[in-house]
Amino acid sequence: MAARGDGIEGRLPAYEFVMKEPHLLIIGYGNTLRSDDGVGPRLVEAVGTLRLPRVRTLLCQQLSPEHSGLVSLAGAVIFVDAAVDAPHTVQLRELTPGPTTQLFAHAADPRTLLAFARDVFGHAPRAWWLTIPAVNLAFGEQLSPETEAGYQEALAHIKMLADEFGQVNSPAELAAHHF
Amino acid sequence: MSKRIVIDPVTRIEGHAKISIYLDDAGQVTDAEFHVVEFRGFEKFCEGRPFSEMPGITQRICGICPVSHMLASANAGDALMAVSIPPAADKLRRLVNLGQIIQSHALSFFHLSAPDFLLGWETPVAQRNVFGLIQSNTDLARAGIRLRQFGQEIIEVLGGKKIHPAWAVPGGVRSGLSEEGRAKIRAWLPESYATARIALDLFKKTLETHQRELEVFGNFSSLFMGLVTPDGSWEHHGGKLRFTSSEGALVADQLDPQRYAEFIGESVQGGSYLKSPYYTPLGFPKGIYRVGPLARLNICERMGVPQGDVELANFKSLGKGAVTASFLYHYARLVELLSAIEFVERYLDDPELSTGPLRADAGINSLRGVGVSEAPRGTLFHDYTVDPDGLLQKVNLIVATGQNNLAMNQTVAQIARSYIHGQEITEPVLNRIEHGIRCYDPCLSCSTHAVGQMPLRVRLIAPDGAVVNEVARG
Repeated sequence: MAARGDGIEGRLPAYEFVMKEPHLLIIGYGNTLRSDDGVGPRLVEAVGTLRLPRVRTLLCQQLSPEHSGLVSLAGAVIFVDAAVDAPHTVQLRELTPGPTTQLFAHAADPRTLLAFARDVFGHAPRAWWLTIPAVNLAFGEQLSPETEAGYQEALAHIKMLADEFGQVNSPAELAAHHF
Repeated sequence: MSKRIVIDPVTRIEGHAKISIYLDDAGQVTDAEFHVVEFRGFEKFCEGRPFSEMPGITQRICGICPVSHMLASANAGDALMAVSIPPAADKLRRLVNLGQIIQSHALSFFHLSAPDFLLGWETPVAQRNVFGLIQSNTDLARAGIRLRQFGQEIIEVLGGKKIHPAWAVPGGVRSGLSEEGRAKIRAWLPESYATARIALDLFKKTLETHQRELEVFGNFSSLFMGLVTPDGSWEHHGGKLRFTSSEGALVADQLDPQRYAEFIGESVQGGSYLKSPYYTPLGFPKGIYRVGPLARLNICERMGVPQGDVELANFKSLGKGAVTASFLYHYARLVELLSAIEFVERYLDDPELSTGPLRADAGINSLRGVGVSEAPRGTLFHDYTVDPDGLLQKVNLIVATGQNNLAMNQTVAQIARSYIHGQEITEPVLNRIEHGIRCYDPCLSCSTHAVGQMPLRVRLIAPDGAVVNEVARG
């Protein structure tokens, strides 16, 4: 590994984590050309049009390391994705940072991104993984009826969390709040 | 009994692949092969679609280099319309491609490759990854992440989103550079320069202790191909094609990309969905050529920016004629990264990017059009044939990774011959072989335009076809 005397000590850009304005970051990821796989970005795009207070949205095809910086600056984050695993219901699970899966794979784990945010940028926010059952992953831009139903249920979850988040006024309150 | 050793999957590359290594009875390597096991089929299912949709469709071949496909596709559309796009649009396309090069090269160096040569081949696989890099030097890992973020910001500022921006279209681009966007990009420059310089110095230091890698990680004679400007400078978008030899001699120059089929052939090999392009005047497989950063620096005479030109001279000093060591793809990548930042800064001072016409409008004026652009990994061709209504009749995509296929085969074979001599195959040896592939930073999703994933296995196969051993990964 780069050791003292390599000439890079002291030259690396300085960085200090500062929580400027706690906001709720909602990330929708998936391929919008693969039918139900696009439910995450589609849902979060719709959330963005609602202009909910203190809510920011991010759409992407897959999670990648540079998202960890944005995640670290959030007061809380919701990851929204399609899921093909059983059970075939909308699931909202609170997450904690975890190791270790590839961050570039199509099945990237948001817990890995949280670990990046904590280890690289100094802060991992409270986080939830909101998954919506996916039935059809063929090429196409339409959602199946099952996923469309899950979309509506997931939207309700997001609105509820955003409303509760809006009532929290400080990082300390956020850490203690039971959502 | 002869053996075949299979590494499957190859890790820390984009996509899925496996490597087969063939041993004779004495345990000596006889041959090696790099297989791509994805099948995508974009070339077929695009038939019947309007050509105007292609920049959006082909972007979805890959989540890592969608910008490259968007640009090559838009260029092909320009050719079908037989238009010259407005100068501002050309500059804006170049700016977004520079962002693409920055983000892709930063990803390749810091996340995919550096864990190997910075942490060491002997480091356990569980630590020899970006998490290990974070633990060893958090500041360096963060700088690398933010450097990639800079490239992504350029793409988002111009295209509206980081991945799959529907921005470059046949005839031009949808929008210019706002003053807010210009300021946003400019604010990143000091940190990005610093990180790029650090990465270069770090790699130069690495070379002091990696001489064997220089010698045996894909060090062989081949042609090199890429785009150049009319005066032979580094080019990443537009321009003409140039082939040079390992001796540094000019083989062919200022070739029209529209006529690529006259000098590039494609060979299909068994056991892989990856096609193998070659320089047709020399036939297959003598016509092997490499593309990407190593090739682009070999074929050009200058980068065209001050710091880049200095580093280009340093890079070229490592070769006799051309730089032939594939391990130095990493070095070339960093020279391009630094140069790209310099070019971005130059474009930020150009007011034309915010003013003037951005689109040329025309109908179908040619039934066949070829678009070419230098993706971070190498030259990318989109070849479209349409009917008079602009519906696609035939699509041919030649991507960078496919053009490096034969070179990757040779690289794997060379590394295997150097490290496998009838002894036990250790994890560090296997990782060196995988790293030989990573030197090319292959994007396998693009190269086979696949539709899905396949289960991947490690197989040891005897000459009679019997599976001697099998290990599943992933």
